[in-house]
Parts: sequence; structure tokens; C-alpha cells
Amino acid sequence: MELVSGNWQRRLRSAPFYATLIVITAITLVPIVWVFTSALKTNKEIRENALGLPGEWRFQNYVDAWFEASFDQYFINSIFISVTTVLIVLFLASLAAYAFAKMRFPGNQPIFFVFLIGMAFPLSAKLGPLLSLMYELNLANSRIGLILVYVAGSLPFAILMLRAFFQGFPPELEDSAALDGCSRFQFYLRILLPLSKPSLMALGIFVFMGTWNEFFQALLLINEDSKRTLPLGLTAFQDEYFTDFALSFAGINITAVPVIIVYIIFQRNLIEGITVGSIK
Amino acid sequence: MTLLSGQTARTAGIRPRLDLMPYLFILPAVAIYVVFNLGPVLASFVFSFFKWDLLSPTAEFTGLSHYTFILNDDRFWNALGHNFIFLGLAVVIPVWIGLLLAVFIYEIRRGRVFFRAALFLPAIFSGVVIAYVWKWIYHPFAGVLNPALELVGLGAFTQSWLGDHKIALYSTFIAYAWATFGYSMVIFLAGLQDIPTDIIDAARVDGANFRQKLFRIIIPSLYDVFTFVVTLRIFTAMGIFGVIFILTGGGPFYSSDVIDIYVFRMIGNFEMGWATAAATVNAVIVVCISTGFIKWREWRSWSS
Repeated sequence: MELVSGNWQRRLRSAPFYATLIVITAITLVPIVWVFTSALKTNKEIRENALGLPGEWRFQNYVDAWFEASFDQYFINSIFISVTTVLIVLFLASLAAYAFAKMRFPGNQPIFFVFLIGMAFPLSAKLGPLLSLMYELNLANSRIGLILVYVAGSLPFAILMLRAFFQGFPPELEDSAALDGCSRFQFYLRILLPLSKPSLMALGIFVFMGTWNEFFQALLLINEDSKRTLPLGLTAFQDEYFTDFALSFAGINITAVPVIIVYIIFQRNLIEGITVGSIK
Repeated sequence: MTLLSGQTARTAGIRPRLDLMPYLFILPAVAIYVVFNLGPVLASFVFSFFKWDLLSPTAEFTGLSHYTFILNDDRFWNALGHNFIFLGLAVVIPVWIGLLLAVFIYEIRRGRVFFRAALFLPAIFSGVVIAYVWKWIYHPFAGVLNPALELVGLGAFTQSWLGDHKIALYSTFIAYAWATFGYSMVIFLAGLQDIPTDIIDAARVDGANFRQKLFRIIIPSLYDVFTFVVTLRIFTAMGIFGVIFILTGGGPFYSSDVIDIYVFRMIGNFEMGWATAAATVNAVIVVCISTGFIKWREWRSWSS
């Protein structure tokens, strides 16, 4: 154990770190807190007392934003699109990553490399033809179309991450399963997937956040109000209510709160999803 | 069904037939990826040499004419220049803020989880939410930044943050930096936790101060993490769209225009030939910068 004086020394040494962290955390969080408190004010309060707290908490702003704009519809669209994208990505990416990690076949390395190429280009590099293609296939202005685009965009990273993870499994695992008469698909379904739950979870949360937040492609491909996701709906809403300060703040919060809730519940998984892909 | 995997069959001396199973496993992923991601990228390159009829490419070859138009368009260079300014700031400011915060969190004992979670919070939001938060912070009537500056005696710095063509781009960068330093931070923090503690303990026993520890041990140990974090910033800075699109729309007077907004505007005007040409030029630049940077980092780590 440490001596008491050593403990004191350590505390003294870490004091400047704490001080800096507290100040920077405060500066970082102030804008978020301010958006939340402003959503509870009246327009007059926002104009005349931008920095202060609301006199009384007006939850009516949220009710107005939710019912006057179609936030209920945007919300359902976002949930449907994000959850479906995550499920498809997890299924297809784990299947492919299993093959890339554990099976020998001609073309394994080159095809995997082709997936990696997809991560090297900026989004704008595909937008023009993508838009034509979606109109050609009758998938423009469609939630299914958007899901397909999101799945295609998420697959490279997902396969890269799961392949690295599957490569960590000992080959004996598969061999003994094969001796027990387990086909490779059964092995994938009954053994590989259950063993990979933490990784699939991390990846799933990461893809969910990315899909939920996506704006550029949705803006290009969706132009019917009933099919908008939350970020798209928020822009339409802000254009319409830009002079109604309080409603605008409430609209921002309605879009942000679900992400905050997911973040609070799955914080560890999300950060794992971000760092696992980077450190390895 | 095959009971033996290809490997076992080979060791047993049986010559395996071409096994179709792996292809079935990768086929769905490959199909969706090629049709909706890689295909459009390649098509963008190919059809930038052809005439477009509204949204459809035609068979009429136009050679380099779209490229000559783009490369002679002042707006294109203007936008690209702004991407480079953004890039220059993005590979330094959010990266170093993230690094220092990660080191500070690493140095403390209590509250690590809290500070990591709180400081990462802005990074979880959509660019749309980030942009609107800052649009309101900067707002001339309802905004909080100007009153806050006056409150702390910096009234001289109050200004039209998004309306002034000299600073609009930098105002959008502040919003970007606020939302991205958390990414660098969590990645550095994960990297720090991989450094063997005895190295850092040894430095402390030898009496190294914080600066020596940071520059002599921590930063060299995080070499590859640094490369990754900066590469990530290269991609996001060259592909910046949502935050600027909502904050300024590229204005005022194109003073915060960037390539992706330029391309988006071209698509909106059904100028697909120019849009695909501009997007291709940008893609080539991004690939060159990122691979060049990664190769340089690899070369430097071998040669030292």
C-alpha cells in the first residue's frame, strides 16, 4: 500500500488535470444544456434573457413541435430505417466476415480488398450515379431504397471489424464442430454468432448511430415529407419555424434525445465499436 | 453436406473440389455493396466522360470537356480551397484537443468513466443537430455567444458569426471541432490503455516530468493511433457537408462553400456531367492525400 504522503502527492499532482477536465467538460456541455433549457422558455424569454434559466418550465413547446410538425412520422421512419439497416448489416457482414476469416477459397484476399476500397472514397464520389440508379430501380423516395444504400455503405467497416474478430477464434473450435457433424452454416448460427455477441452488439450500436444521424444521402434520395427521417424532418421544420425560437429548440431536442438515451444505455458498446476498429 | 472443412480435407490428402460454400456466404454482401456503393463510384468516374440527359447518362462521349469546365470554374477552386483550410485545421485542432484530454483522463484515477462519457457526448449527434445547436448559439437575436462574450467583458469580439464572409468558414469549423474532438479522445484513450504500464511507471521513477512523459513516451507509443486519427480527420474534412450546408449553405457569397456542397448544387441543377467530374477530382485528391499520408507515416516509422 501507499503511504499517506504518497497519496497526497498523487492527489496534488492530478489537481491540474482535474481542473482542466472540469473546465473543458463545462464548456463542452453548456451548449447542450442551453438548448434544453431554451426549449422550455417562451419566445420572449429567449430574446430578452438568452443566458438565464426559464422562469417556468414550458413543456407545451414539445407538445406543439410533436403535433404541429410530423415528428411522430419522422420518428417512426428513423426507427424503421435504422433498425432494419442494423439487422441486415449484422447478418450479411457476419456471414461474409466468417468466410473471409475462416475459409480458404480462390479470391478471398482480392474480394476482401475490394470491400476495403469502398472506405477510401468520399460520399460525393457516388452520389450522381446513385441517384440515377435509384430512380431507374424505382427506389428513389423510398425507405427500402435508403436502407439498401445505408447497408451498402456500412458493410465495408462491418466486415473489416468482424473479420478481425473472427480471426481470433481458434481453428480447433470449427474442426471439433465439423467432427460432430455440424455444417458450416450451423457452426455460424449456433456457435460463431452466440460467441460474438459483444462484438455484434458494439457494431450494431455503431451502425445504428451512423444510420440514425445520416443526412446527406437522405437529403438527396428522399423528398416526400411522409418518408423523411428525423434529421431531414428537422431541417424542414427549422425552415418553417425559424422565427419561432422556442419550437425550434424543442424540435432539436426531439431529434437529439433518442440518441442521448441510446448513448447512456450503450455507452460502452458504442465506444468499443469505435475503438476496436481503430486500434487493431 | 461437407463434414470436413477444406483445410482438414487437404491434410487428409484428398484433393478438394472447388468449394462453393464461401461464395454463398459472401454473395449477398458483395451484391448489395457492388450495386449500391462501389458500382456508383465507378460509374461516377466513367460517366464523367459522357453527356448526361437530366439524370441519365447517354452514350455520347464528351471527353474531358466536363473536366475542363470544372477546372476553369472559380467556384470549384474556391470550394476546394475551403476544404483544404478545413483540412489543415481539422488534422491539428480536434486531434490535439482529443490527445490532451485523453492523457488528462488517463492521469486521473476517479471519474475516468464520467469525463470520457461527458466529453464524447457532442460526437454522438447528427451533423444536423450539431449545426442547429450552433446556428442558435451564433444567432444574432436569440443567440447566446454574443451576450456571453459581453458578460465576460469581451464585448469587442461580438460579431455576426455566420453573416460575415471573412469568418463564416471558421465559425462552421468551431461547430465541427466541438463535435469531433471526442472521437480522437476515445481512440487515443484506448491506445493509451494499451501502453504497458511499466514503461510509464519507469519514466516516473526516473523523475520524468509531465512534458517529457508526453513527448518522449506517450506520443511515440501512440504513433499508429495518431496516423489513424489524422486519417479519419482527412476523410471527414474533405467530405464535410451537413454542418456547413445547414449553418451557412456555403455562403455568404460562397465564402464557406466546400466541394460536397458544390457537387450537391450541381446535382440539384441536373448538371450531372460537371457533378461527376468534380466528385471524381475530389475523390482522387482524397485518395492521394490519405494514402500519401499513411505511406509517409509508415516510411517515417521504418526509417527512424
